Amino acid sequence: MTTPVRVVRGARTDAGARPPGFRDLFLQLEYVRLVRRGVQDLRTRGRLLQYLVGTDLKRTHADTVMGQVWWLIDPFFSMAIYAILVTVVFQRSIPDAPLFLFAAILPWQWFQTSLIDATTSVTARGNLIRQIQFPKLVLPAASTIAGTITFGFGLLSLAVLYLVYPSRLSPWLLALPVIAVVQYVFTLALAVLFSGINAFYRDVQNLLRHVVRIWFYASPAIYSVAALKGSVFGIALALNPFTYLLTSYRNVAYYGQAPDWVGLASVLLISVVLLGFSIWVFKRIETGFAKIL
Amino acid sequence: MPHATYAIDVEELGIRYNLHLTRRTTIKGSLAEWVGRRQRDEHFFWALRHISFRIAHGESIGVLGPNGAGKSTLLLALAGILAPDEGSVRIHGRVSSLLTLGAGFEMEVSGRENIALLGAFMGIRHRVMQELTPSIIEFADIGPFIDAPVRTYSSGMRARLGFSIATAIAPDILLLDEVLGTGDEEFRARSQARIHDLVERARAIVLVTHDLNSVAEYCSRSLLMEKGRVLFEGPTPETVEFYKDRIRKRKAQIAEQEAARAAAGLPQPVALDELPGEPASRQVEPPQPGTLESLASPGQSG
Repeated sequence: MTTPVRVVRGARTDAGARPPGFRDLFLQLEYVRLVRRGVQDLRTRGRLLQYLVGTDLKRTHADTVMGQVWWLIDPFFSMAIYAILVTVVFQRSIPDAPLFLFAAILPWQWFQTSLIDATTSVTARGNLIRQIQFPKLVLPAASTIAGTITFGFGLLSLAVLYLVYPSRLSPWLLALPVIAVVQYVFTLALAVLFSGINAFYRDVQNLLRHVVRIWFYASPAIYSVAALKGSVFGIALALNPFTYLLTSYRNVAYYGQAPDWVGLASVLLISVVLLGFSIWVFKRIETGFAKIL
Repeated sequence: MPHATYAIDVEELGIRYNLHLTRRTTIKGSLAEWVGRRQRDEHFFWALRHISFRIAHGESIGVLGPNGAGKSTLLLALAGILAPDEGSVRIHGRVSSLLTLGAGFEMEVSGRENIALLGAFMGIRHRVMQELTPSIIEFADIGPFIDAPVRTYSSGMRARLGFSIATAIAPDILLLDEVLGTGDEEFRARSQARIHDLVERARAIVLVTHDLNSVAEYCSRSLLMEKGRVLFEGPTPETVEFYKDRIRKRKAQIAEQEAARAAAGLPQPVALDELPGEPASRQVEPPQPGTLESLASPGQSG
């Protein structure tokens, strides 16, 4: 067994023995180093992630009679509420409205719960952070993974809806995981960033609830993009990643069409860049968590 | 490796707290601060500064000092929980601090699952943790509660389980904040025995204590800290003597001041909580159960 050696320095001194090549220089960039270390944090702590996700899932519906069945029921209820809102209150006639709404509300709720849970994930473990040294990046990551599993169960209720609307089923539904991956990268990027900043400024968690609510109505979840084409809101929609995500979900689950590949690719590109930035910010401020929590 | 002979090598260590970034920070406050004043230096409180010492393998060192001297901060820095803002900390070996008593449990899941979770947080391999689990449960001795949510535990049961997990693996370097004692008479005896066992197996020990009488029992060498600096370093009896002397002088000083006040006809201070010269924002350490509050803690001078 080798002895672990930990050297922690306040000021960095990097001295290379041989002349560094381009690759070495690239890897020595502080940005690249921190992002790589962040990715390593997640890869080496798989077991911890697994346990954290498990406790997260248990906590959400602990002490309920129906337990995990709520994961199936929750999305149904919100879908029903919006179905009544849209068809009865706003008098919109959307064919097969429940499926139309469900295809967008389900992924939205995945985003919303993951992001809100993740944002408080660091502050909620303040006690532990002051007592054990571990990579804090696992905390927001675990929250988003737990949200993803809940979303997976929600998809089962989508399957139930197809019993009612069998004609809406199409092979394009197989593309749904691709859309979900793009959404996950985007969610993780925001989750990491917000959870880190929230440790210093609790305003983030308060503000986020309102922003997410506005964001929901600014996204084509209970209406379609076509309804707003040409208006001022059209521009806002074009800049909203969820326009492309929700449109794609609806394409594959409701219209039986191909997802918006170009839109998805753009969102993925932006999300990957944002994720790199978020991990970099998180790793930079991570060392301060123990002091302020 | 130039310092491989040392278990702990601390050089010019400094840890500072930003007084304006606390848990109550809001963006509004920060902005007001930022717009209002720009001299940033006065915003920092150096909890530790210019700390240098080395601990060889096989050595035990005591850390003495009044409340707010920075002893606990030092342990946090040695445990790797606080990163140095200045200087460096080198650690050769696996460190364990027995700070993890009861806090940090996940309330909604069972004790057994918490063992696995905390093990994973501490970075202990899954297989090792699986092997250790039966002995952890046996030592905690909380019966069928081990499969009940931790939320249902009494504080004593939480402390037992926490202690049992924290001490399950014998570290190379043991960081102790006070010789601990938790729970009832029987458990206290067993936990003392376990700590003695850990102390014997550890290659280096740092013990923070207020108990001037027993520190020599564990540590041959001691540091005296005050206001984030090391004031004195030497063999334990000498350090203790220096410290006691300092406390006596302080007390005499205070008595003198009081006498002067009385003579001048000024009102007497109602309660004497703090010695003059101590930082106003001292960290309050939780009362340590089962330890002697000897004359070492000047706050208790009455």
